[in-house]
Amino acid sequence: MDKFQEAFDEIIEKDLKVEPRDWMPEEYRKTLIRQVSQHAHSEVIGMQPEGNWLLRAPSLRAKQVLLAKIQDEAGHGLYLYSVAETLGISRAETIEQLHQGKAKYSSIFNYPTLTWADIGAVGWLVDGAAIINQVSLQRTSYGPYSRAMVKICKEESFHQRQGYEIMCQMAFGTPEQKEMAQDALNRFWEPSLMMFGPHDADSVHKGQSMAWKIKRESNDHLRQRFIDRTVAQAEYLGLTIPDPNLKFNEETGHYETSPFNWDEFWNVVKGNGPCNTQRLDHHKRAHENGAWVREAAAAYAAKTENKVA
Amino acid sequence: MESGDKVWEVFVQKKSGLPFKHVGNVHAYDKKMAVQNARDLYTRRGEGRELWVVPTSEIVSVPLDDADAFFDPSEDKPYRHATFYEIPDGVKHL
Amino acid sequence: MKITIENKEAKFLLRIADTALILGQRVAELCSNGPFLEEDIAQSNISLDLFGRAEELYKIIAKIEGDKYTADDYVFHRNEREYFNLKLVEQPNEDFAWTIARQYMHDVYVQEVFSQFQSSSNEELAGLSAKVLKEIRYSYLHSKDWMMRLGLGTEESHRRLQDAVSHLRKFVEEIFNWDELDREYYQDCDKIKSNWESEVNATLDACNITREDIPSQSMRDYRDGFHSEHIGHLLSIMQYLPRAYPDAKW
Repeated sequence: MDKFQEAFDEIIEKDLKVEPRDWMPEEYRKTLIRQVSQHAHSEVIGMQPEGNWLLRAPSLRAKQVLLAKIQDEAGHGLYLYSVAETLGISRAETIEQLHQGKAKYSSIFNYPTLTWADIGAVGWLVDGAAIINQVSLQRTSYGPYSRAMVKICKEESFHQRQGYEIMCQMAFGTPEQKEMAQDALNRFWEPSLMMFGPHDADSVHKGQSMAWKIKRESNDHLRQRFIDRTVAQAEYLGLTIPDPNLKFNEETGHYETSPFNWDEFWNVVKGNGPCNTQRLDHHKRAHENGAWVREAAAAYAAKTENKVA
Repeated sequence: MESGDKVWEVFVQKKSGLPFKHVGNVHAYDKKMAVQNARDLYTRRGEGRELWVVPTSEIVSVPLDDADAFFDPSEDKPYRHATFYEIPDGVKHL
Repeated sequence: MKITIENKEAKFLLRIADTALILGQRVAELCSNGPFLEEDIAQSNISLDLFGRAEELYKIIAKIEGDKYTADDYVFHRNEREYFNLKLVEQPNEDFAWTIARQYMHDVYVQEVFSQFQSSSNEELAGLSAKVLKEIRYSYLHSKDWMMRLGLGTEESHRRLQDAVSHLRKFVEEIFNWDELDREYYQDCDKIKSNWESEVNATLDACNITREDIPSQSMRDYRDGFHSEHIGHLLSIMQYLPRAYPDAKW
């Protein structure tokens, strides 16, 4: 074994961090680029379903909170694009891959936010699931990714609460509001659980990712943690989890659920969900509409900035 | 492919008396935009009282192949640390 | 709910509050639509400052009016003719040049407005102004820098900025058609106008934008609740939920 591989293995073995200039196996780099860019795009595309209600937020408070939250998602996208850049891929390239359909983003954002209660459900369930995943990723073996996760987790601590606060207002509001809350839970429950990815037995990249400590806990493990935490939160709201087979297993200490509709999951991943085209088109359009602005900024800088080197 | 935007490393001082700390980077097309983008990305929660940005391309690193030569020689010089020295029991304020 | 406003000072402040709110709503439209992500974040910050400012002003108005209504009532339960924002700020984001030109002209104006409020006899307003002036200063720097970039950037950006400025300047005249309320609550109306003109003229010169002659406009004054058609669409989106579910609490 060559000395580079040996040094890398030692970093992983001893739970140290791999840094950008350290030697790393090409597959490790590729796996990270795929995961980090998908994560970055998820933050950025995730701005859209929430942005759908930004201009209709029903109070000044809700408006400011939602805008601050979406703004955070943009910032988290930036942190993650920056991590991808340390792996040798520029932001422009990463965005290009998104536009060409080569890079993915979390499939959950292909679902529409139909009512204001959906903004509650997205914060409570979608951010809730994302946070469980991101807390686990704070211990990922790639230094810049790990540091980005620490910062993101810190900033996102208010996101899930914001969502749950809306769920409380809706669930304890008028009958119409409660109905909207239940409907939002019905539609977002299963897609949120599938955010953690395929079952461990069916997960393509799982083995190597775990061995390299890019991923620290398995999909099923994280998903179970989310379910166990969320059921009681739904009960407090007086809402029903839309799964007739949901039950607590005294022996394992965990909730059990019905099998998920993986056919739908894969079909949405493939591009056939309710909003896939819309989301991508929105991003492309904003990018294209901004081209002349970026060109102007570049031209102005070329005229006015002191040339360095 | 577009060009013209540069990457800038961002350093923030949270309070007077504290050192500037590297917090990450931003993309920007010119200097003024770089400090503004850094302000908007890294000091939205009262994290800053002062801010520096510097083009990433201007940062000089130790050559990768020579990292061992730069850093390893300091590892066998324990006499630079206070714990290296033995002080008789009972002697104070050293 | 039919909102009425009795007090003169409240009526006057409503103009300032509405202008902040409506511009905040317009700028929020940039969210996820910015020319690049850093600028998206910058625009969100500007919007947040405007919403925060509007909220504080509505609270001051509510207090003057004896707390008959909340800040949210003022926002969500008034119709087109009961809004008193500058027409300038309800103009749409036709492109980024409109966004910037509108923001810049607004920022220069409110910088003058809140400078004068600092010595207002209303202590809350004077206190708020100190905080608000910092936000405005930042937004002003941001929008002015972009005026320069667009004006001196490329041919296309120059043309777009010129178009935006020429359109939006039609909505400037009314800003300075002072009425009695203005004269009562500003220390010096003329100074607002002269400072605005010298600052804006200098910037337009610097970024190579021409001030075409604009004939006097017959569009009726924002002080009487006159608007462009854009306001109705903006309000119907903004007020949808409280209007559709009048019994709900949010």
